[in-house]
Amino acid sequence: VKGRKLIPTRAALTLTPAAVQRIKSLLQDKPDFVGLKVGVRQRGCNGLSYTLDYASHKADKLDEEVVQDGVKVFIDKKAQLSLLGTEMDYVESKLSSEFVFNNPNIKGTCGCGESFNM
Amino acid sequence: MAYILSQFTKPRSLMRAANPIRHLATASSKSAENQQIQVSESCLKRLREICTDGSFLRVTVEGGGCSGFQYKFDLDSKLNDDDRQFGEDKAKVVIDTISLDYCNGATVDYHSELIRAGFRMIANPLAEQGCSCGSSFSIKL
Repeated sequence: VKGRKLIPTRAALTLTPAAVQRIKSLLQDKPDFVGLKVGVRQRGCNGLSYTLDYASHKADKLDEEVVQDGVKVFIDKKAQLSLLGTEMDYVESKLSSEFVFNNPNIKGTCGCGESFNM
Repeated sequence: MAYILSQFTKPRSLMRAANPIRHLATASSKSAENQQIQVSESCLKRLREICTDGSFLRVTVEGGGCSGFQYKFDLDSKLNDDDRQFGEDKAKVVIDTISLDYCNGATVDYHSELIRAGFRMIANPLAEQGCSCGSSFSIKL
């Protein structure tokens, strides 16, 4: 049997309309960046925490590229397994505004929700 | 008459002796006069934007979080008796004296990063190394 190319049937990361809006407005006045890059870093009291950066190009060819509603989000190749199936949301209130990741893979989070384990 | 008076004063003095905690609480609130927190420029700027209807930022310290205590930020419009006010008239930060005991000398800051923007407490001289998110901390003994 010849190895056949695996075609993804679902996006690795989904964005909510609020997140799409926010990313669009973030990138509006920054023409040299094409999207955001999501990663995972070993940090926090529960093991891991999310990182978010501007991305000007696909930094590594193994990085996953998610395009939804005209915005581009790259997933760091080391973070793909931990982020698979995650929904990225943007929550804004008077006191704070933040990107929230609804990750089905995690086992528990810190009280503040910033760090998690799986 | 004198007997009745002495009966009146007796239980009060007894109560004072039997309730040293109350004594301590009033003593600490007296020393709270010179306790204070700083409010950073970015925090004032944000408060001027959101506190247009006379509300203010209320900071409370409560038990919880992974390091024992955590900060809580709220928008409130009702002042209590034991509240202390900091900042300016249109950008007020309010903290009650009991919470102030745990964060005397700290700074309220509004930080904005790509992933998150929000109020936080920084440089609390009474806090040991806390949680990485900065919302939870433990008290230096």
